[in-house]
Amino acid sequence: MKQRLQITRYQILLNILPILSIVLFAGLWILVSSGEGHIIPSPGEVYDRAVRLFEKPINHVSLGGHIWASMKRVLNGLVFACLTGIPLGLLMGWSKTANSLLKPLFDLIRPIPALAWIPLMTLWFGIGESSKIALIYLGTLMPVLVNTYAGVKMIPQLNIDVARVFGASQLQIVKDIVMPSALSAIMAGIKTAVGTGWIVVLAAEMISADTGLGFMIIRGSNVADLALVIFAMLIIGLVGAFLSVLLTFAERKLCSWKIEIK
Amino acid sequence: MENRNKVELHKISKVFLNGDSCEAAIEEVSLSVKENEFLVLLGPGECGKSVLLNIVAGLMEATSGEVYINGELCGGIHPEVGMVFQELGVLPWLTVRDNVALPEKFRGMSKKDRYAHGQEFIDLVGLHGFEKYYPHQLSGGMKQRVGIARAYASDSDILLMDEPFGKLDAQTRYSMQDEILKIWNQNKKTVIFVTNNIEEAVYLGDRIILFTAAPMSVRRIYDLKDLPRPRNYTDEKFLQIRGEINRHMDLVIQ
Repeated sequence: MKQRLQITRYQILLNILPILSIVLFAGLWILVSSGEGHIIPSPGEVYDRAVRLFEKPINHVSLGGHIWASMKRVLNGLVFACLTGIPLGLLMGWSKTANSLLKPLFDLIRPIPALAWIPLMTLWFGIGESSKIALIYLGTLMPVLVNTYAGVKMIPQLNIDVARVFGASQLQIVKDIVMPSALSAIMAGIKTAVGTGWIVVLAAEMISADTGLGFMIIRGSNVADLALVIFAMLIIGLVGAFLSVLLTFAERKLCSWKIEIK
Repeated sequence: MENRNKVELHKISKVFLNGDSCEAAIEEVSLSVKENEFLVLLGPGECGKSVLLNIVAGLMEATSGEVYINGELCGGIHPEVGMVFQELGVLPWLTVRDNVALPEKFRGMSKKDRYAHGQEFIDLVGLHGFEKYYPHQLSGGMKQRVGIARAYASDSDILLMDEPFGKLDAQTRYSMQDEILKIWNQNKKTVIFVTNNIEEAVYLGDRIILFTAAPMSVRRIYDLKDLPRPRNYTDEKFLQIRGEINRHMDLVIQ
């Protein structure tokens, strides 16, 4: 009985802790931002700045417009990454010939961070939208490709044998066995890719852009408007968390037959 | 046509390369299966029975020897051969209905037609009402029924069963044995059934081929056509055959 009571208390504690950590964080923030010559704007100042943002948008683009600008770039890069990464991953996982031909190449390129491509991309695509999308493409391609490849490699031979015995062609095996088997791995790859894409887009926008959340940070930094910087950071965090929730939801919908996804 | 040889294996051998050494798995196995016969391949665990079945199915290539189906040399997957796999052979992302309809899907049959065709076999194995369930919602015995229905729905005359009941608990196993005989009686096919369980072999088989441990070769053949069905595990004749096989079966300690 006593044991059981302790477990419930422990569970209550587990529910309280997340709230506690946020409260503590806010308290710490208020503490370091108060007093003379503070180095960080207080929550109140950030809030005031956010309100002013709605009255006088930066570069005549609303907050939603800036968020959408960043998201659109990620989405564009990601779509290209999926369109090339998923077929390539399937091909490399399925065909040993393709794998031994392409894998060394990708093993070499993979460790290079997308940001290292900035000079080349700027040289080739200029400083407009296309160079940002190309950078995001480079950053998101690898997670999509590598996860698809791993997903194909993990398919039990038995599932493929089932299809072979019942007369499936190679194309049917890829479509009806390999794709659904690898789907949850592909989704995991896309999830990672969105995270990477989000990092790359901000970096790209900080270098040159007139819209987007990365641009907001740089604008704040240039005019010593730290409240704006912190507000943009908070929005970046919120949007990132929202995207992650959205993708988990999509994964659950697509792989509803899989019970282990939480 | 009862006496026609449906499947013939001629001196099948299989050697696996294991690093630098060769490991013989099957050594010159020859056997034949009559049309509509229920043949049981019995042998100790890991002796190579599944490998032999995979060779008949065309999933694996023999190192030497030939497989004949309907008297014709067969060099791969044969449309008349269907297979019941172990538990995982049921695809987890497909419903019962789609699992059963899979062979017809590969043949290009329309969704409506293959569902209608599969329904007959879903009913045959007693899964009526479970058409839209996913495998993780089914018990082990039910999943195995899906596998059996699928093999039947593939319209193949030859059914290969690779230890289909190996992972079931004892009670379910007994009832599935009765079930498979019932289905086979209603809808006769040539069956090659692999097991390492002597009792199961004697209960099911028209004929039992007993194999040695690896490298696998034929040790003895038992003809049980005279043992009437339904068989009884405690019947004197049953126990006598069981004891005899037991004496000749290799013991493999794993």
